Amino acid sequence: MKEEQVFKPEVELIEVPPAKDTHRWVAITALLLAIGVILHTISPNIGGVTPNWTIAMYSITISLTNPSFSQSLGIGFVAGLTLVPSSKSAFPLGNIASELTGAFVAALVVKSMMQMGLADFRFRPYLTGFLATMASGSVFTFILKLILNLPMHVYVYAMLPVVATVAVLNGFITQVLFAPAQKLFFIQGARKK
Amino acid sequence: MSNYAVEFKNFHYAYNGGEVVLKDINVSVKEGSFTVLLGPSGAGKTTMCKAMAGIIPYYYGGRYAGSVEVLGEDTKGRRVSDIAMRLGLMLEDYESQLVSLTAGEEVSFSLLNHGFPPDEVEERMKKALEDVGLPGRENYQLDELSGGQRQRLLLASVLAVHPRVLVLDEPVSAMDPEGSVSLYKLLYKIHQKYNMTVIVVEHNLDYVLPYVTDMIVLQDGSVVASGSFEEAASIAYEDRELRRILPALWQVKLNLEKRDGIHLGMWRKTSDAISELKEKYGRAEL
Repeated sequence: MKEEQVFKPEVELIEVPPAKDTHRWVAITALLLAIGVILHTISPNIGGVTPNWTIAMYSITISLTNPSFSQSLGIGFVAGLTLVPSSKSAFPLGNIASELTGAFVAALVVKSMMQMGLADFRFRPYLTGFLATMASGSVFTFILKLILNLPMHVYVYAMLPVVATVAVLNGFITQVLFAPAQKLFFIQGARKK
Repeated sequence: MSNYAVEFKNFHYAYNGGEVVLKDINVSVKEGSFTVLLGPSGAGKTTMCKAMAGIIPYYYGGRYAGSVEVLGEDTKGRRVSDIAMRLGLMLEDYESQLVSLTAGEEVSFSLLNHGFPPDEVEERMKKALEDVGLPGRENYQLDELSGGQRQRLLLASVLAVHPRVLVLDEPVSAMDPEGSVSLYKLLYKIHQKYNMTVIVVEHNLDYVLPYVTDMIVLQDGSVVASGSFEEAASIAYEDRELRRILPALWQVKLNLEKRDGIHLGMWRKTSDAISELKEKYGRAEL
């Protein structure tokens, strides 16, 4: 039987990191947020709760592209803007503050998990979607509480449970859609960061 | 000034986390040549093509040593898009390189990305389509074009920036024999018309035999023969594995040369073989 010999070069090889994508995150963000807006417009209630597609979409984007914090804030700002026109809340502009927070938290989760060596953790998208929605929803409802001058117990016992329910649903959506999105956008030369 | 279109100097390369796939490559491709890159599957031919375009190692990453020069300039420190102005690369999976809706947009896309002014884009786009035999098809949707035409379209996109070197990785692997012959005829025409260096990876050497001038033979990541087609084929013939991938006509020729200790000419077509055999042996059948 022929023995397999591993070639050992006489010279020392120089290690080169793969080139970084500079604009892919913008394209992915634009596309996924557009899909989010469409789904936001047409999706029905599920047991009285509507999933927040926008948060799910930017959670996927941030999980896929691992943008910097400032880029993530940019994503959050644009996501918030897309929600303002169709918002039926008492303070539509609250979406901007809430999505800025949500996107920041998503980036924080992604970066922390990567630093902890959990980049390949199977439920990373779920966790990102869940925590981003919790953060975004908490900020949004807290702004509403302030504007409508609602008592604290309404916020804690009525609003936050709804936020948590949406967060569970959103985590699930993020998890389910993450793999197809990854396949779609990284079909050529898929590279982990 | 170098007279080489491409020159590898002590080049080694390993993909990220992988073993060394190109091992101490020292080879050069003459300017104006029609060079074929030959070797069994997994020999490193595609990797070598990507190294010429600079996408290896500078886009994919990995480990490397040595250098690759394109028209006398090291690919190190150069952007892939800058190298593409001098060396055009057409990969085997050509469909994945198509990005637009119409033929005209497809050719213009690369030009606009390179920053050519709109007037020049229009002019170059029309000329490139004409060069590949698709004149006046700029408004055709990509799905209105056949597979062969889409391949020509990609060739037009590469040619539109007027590179001096054209690298093609198995350009006819998905084509029928007629389409393959026709594409190589077209490539040869372009090679002659613009004195363009053509480097092509091809398994079926019968297609390139009429045009080839030089050959590089790769085996297991190393160059085992290079130089004129005749020289490289003679070296490759000595290896059992490589012998099988030489054109059938040349297997006969090299066998006769070895058996009878004679020297036969450069057989490009069957008719060349027949006439020489008749002359040397008095009959064509042996």
